[in-house]
Amino acid sequence: MSEKPIIEIRELTKIYKGADEPAINAISLDIFQNEIFGLLGPNGAGKTTTISILCGLFAPTKGSVTIDGHDSHAEPAKIKQIIGVVPQDIALYPTLTGRENLTFFGNMYGMYGSQLRDRINHYLGEFGLEKHADKLVNKYSGGMKRRVNLIAGLLHHPKVIILDEPTVGIDVQSRVVILEYLKELNRKGVTIIYTSHYMEEAEHLCTRVAIIDRGRIVTLGNPKELLVLHPEFKNLENIFIHFTGKDMRD
Amino acid sequence: MMKKYFSVCRKEVLLLIRDKAGLTMLFLMPVVLIIISSLMQEFGWNSLKKDPMVQVLFVNNDLDSLGVTIRKGFRQSGSFEIIDSLNHKPITESVAREAVKKGDYLIAIVVPEGATRCMRANVRLSVAKVLAGFGFGNPSLVNSITLKDSVNVTIYFDPTVKKTFKNAMVSSVRENYYRTQSEWTFNTFNQEMAVQMPMYKPSNAAFRDVLSFREVFPSYREVEIIPNTTQHNVPAWTIFAMFFIVIPLTQSLIQEREGGSLFRLLTMPVPYMTLLLGKVGVYLVVCMLQTAAMLLAGVYLLPLFGMPTLVFGNNLIALFFMTLVVSMASVGYGLMVGTIARTHQQAAAFGSISVIMLAAIGGLWVPIYLMPPFMRTFSTVSPLNWAITGYYNIFLRGGNLMQVAPEITRLVLFFIFTVLVTALFHKFKNPGNS
Repeated sequence: MSEKPIIEIRELTKIYKGADEPAINAISLDIFQNEIFGLLGPNGAGKTTTISILCGLFAPTKGSVTIDGHDSHAEPAKIKQIIGVVPQDIALYPTLTGRENLTFFGNMYGMYGSQLRDRINHYLGEFGLEKHADKLVNKYSGGMKRRVNLIAGLLHHPKVIILDEPTVGIDVQSRVVILEYLKELNRKGVTIIYTSHYMEEAEHLCTRVAIIDRGRIVTLGNPKELLVLHPEFKNLENIFIHFTGKDMRD
Repeated sequence: MMKKYFSVCRKEVLLLIRDKAGLTMLFLMPVVLIIISSLMQEFGWNSLKKDPMVQVLFVNNDLDSLGVTIRKGFRQSGSFEIIDSLNHKPITESVAREAVKKGDYLIAIVVPEGATRCMRANVRLSVAKVLAGFGFGNPSLVNSITLKDSVNVTIYFDPTVKKTFKNAMVSSVRENYYRTQSEWTFNTFNQEMAVQMPMYKPSNAAFRDVLSFREVFPSYREVEIIPNTTQHNVPAWTIFAMFFIVIPLTQSLIQEREGGSLFRLLTMPVPYMTLLLGKVGVYLVVCMLQTAAMLLAGVYLLPLFGMPTLVFGNNLIALFFMTLVVSMASVGYGLMVGTIARTHQQAAAFGSISVIMLAAIGGLWVPIYLMPPFMRTFSTVSPLNWAITGYYNIFLRGGNLMQVAPEITRLVLFFIFTVLVTALFHKFKNPGNS
C-alpha cells in the first residue's frame, strides 16, 4: 500500500433539503493508492451519498473530496476520467448487445476504433463472455449482466474504481470471477472502493474497511486488525452488528 | 465532442429499432389516426353538405304551392332526403312529432293547412293596397281590410341536433318562403296592373335571382387551393400525432433513469447536454418521418377511401421548415415532461392529457373563432395553435417561408424554452453535474 493518499476526504457533510439530520456528518478519511477499501454500513448509513459525492454527482454541503489532487466539486470532468463507477443497478441497455453497450460506454469515455475494440475483446475474454458478446443483454443471466456491468466501469483503465455492491444477487461462479479480477486489478495498482452487505466478502477482500452509521464513521481499519482490537468478536459481521446495532433499517 | 454526440444518437437509433412494437406504434398509429379521423369528418358532419343523408319527415297539410315549393327547395339543396310517408301511409303531424320524439328521425317539417291560401291572400291584399295608393281599385274597401296572421311552419328537432344545423334548416325554409312570396308579389302586381291599366303590357321577364354567390379563397399564390376536409384535417391530426412523441420519449428518458444507465452516464466525462441533444436529434428525425408518413397518407391513402387528395401547396421549403420546428417543439415538450415526471405513469398520464388539452385550446378540433373570448386568449399560447396556424398558411393559403416566419419563430423559442427548463431541472436535481 502506498503512503500517498489518492483520495482525501475532509469534514465531508451532506444535508439534504428538508432533512432533519445530515446524511453524512463531517467524515474525514484518507484512501491510499492500491488499497481495496470497504465502505460498509446498514441501509441509509450514508454510503451512497459518499459515493455520489466522490463521483462528482452531488455537491457536499460542507467539506471537500480530492481525488488524485483534483477537487471533486470544482473539477468534476477530471475526476470522471480518473474514476470508474460500477453501480449497484445493472446500468445497461437491455435491448443492446453486450458489445454494443460496452462500445457506447467506451465512447462516452472518449475511446473509439481499434483501441476500444481491443479492450472490449480483452475484457469479454477475461470474464468469459466472448461467445455471448453479440447477444442482447436482456437474454443474459444475472451473473453475465453483472460481469458486463463491471467491464463498463473498467474500459478506460481508471486509477480508482468505485463499486456499489457488485456481487449482489449473482451465482457463486460469477462472484468468484468478479472478486478474483478485482484482486488482480488491485495488484496492478488500481485503487478500489467497494460497498457491500456481504461482511465475509469484505473481510476477505478489503485491505481496510470503514463502518459508517448515521452519517459517521464508527470504526475504521484493516479487518484483521479490527478483529485483534475486538477479540470478543469472531468475525467482521459481529463487529458490524456491535457498532451498528441489531435494529432493522429502512 | 461530436463523436460522443453521434455515439449517443447511434445508441438511441439502436434502442428504437430493436423495439419493434414501439416502432409500429410510432409510425402505424398516426397514419391510422389520420385515416379514421379524416373519414369521420368527411362522412360525418360533412355528409350534411354533400349527400342526401339527413332524412326529413315532411308533412304537407297545405297541399298547395307553398308546401310544394318548400319541399322542392329542400330536395334541390341535395342535403336532405324528404320522407312523405311511413309504412305506405302519408305522415301526419302527430306521427312526425312522435317519430322525432323517439329519436327515429332528427327533423320533421309541418306546413300547415291553408298556408298557400293565406300567403296568396296577403300578397293580393298588399298589392291592392299599393295600387289603391295610386287611386286604382276601391281604396276605401281595400284599406279597411287587414292582413291575415303570418303562416306558422312548424319544425320538430331532435334534442341532439346542433344549433348551427337548426339555424341552417330554418334559414332554408325562410328562404323558400320569401322567394315564393316575392315571385307571387311580382306576378300579382303584373296581373293587377294589366287589369287596372289596359294600356299596360305585362312584363314577360321571369322573376329571377340577381344575386349570386361565388366562393373565393384568397391565397398568397396564384394557384388557388380549394379547402376541403383533407386540407383541414390532415395538418390538424398530424400536429396532434406529432406531439404524442411525448409518450415514447418520456418512456425512454425514465427507463434510462430508473434502469441506472443515466447514473452511470453522469459519472462519465460527457456533458448532460450531449446526452440530451443526442436524444433530441434522433427523436426529431423520427418525428419528421412520422409527419412524412402522415402527409403521404393524405396524398395516397385518403383518396382510396373516397376523400380528396392532400395538396402540399407550392412551397415545400416552408413545409419542411414548419415540420422541422413543430417536431422540435414536440420533442422539446417530451424532454421537459420526461425529465420532470418521476414515474412512467406520471409521464404517460400528464403527457397525453396535456397534449389533448393543448390541442383542444389550440384550435385543432374546434376552430378558434367558435371559441368563447377567454378561450381564444388561451389558444394563442398553445404551441399547437402556432403549429396549426403555420400549416394552414401553407396548406390552405399557399404561404411561403416569410408568411409562416412568426409561427416558426414562436415554435423555435418554445423549443429553446423546453430545453432550458429540462437542463435547469436536471441541474436542480443533480447539483454537482453539468
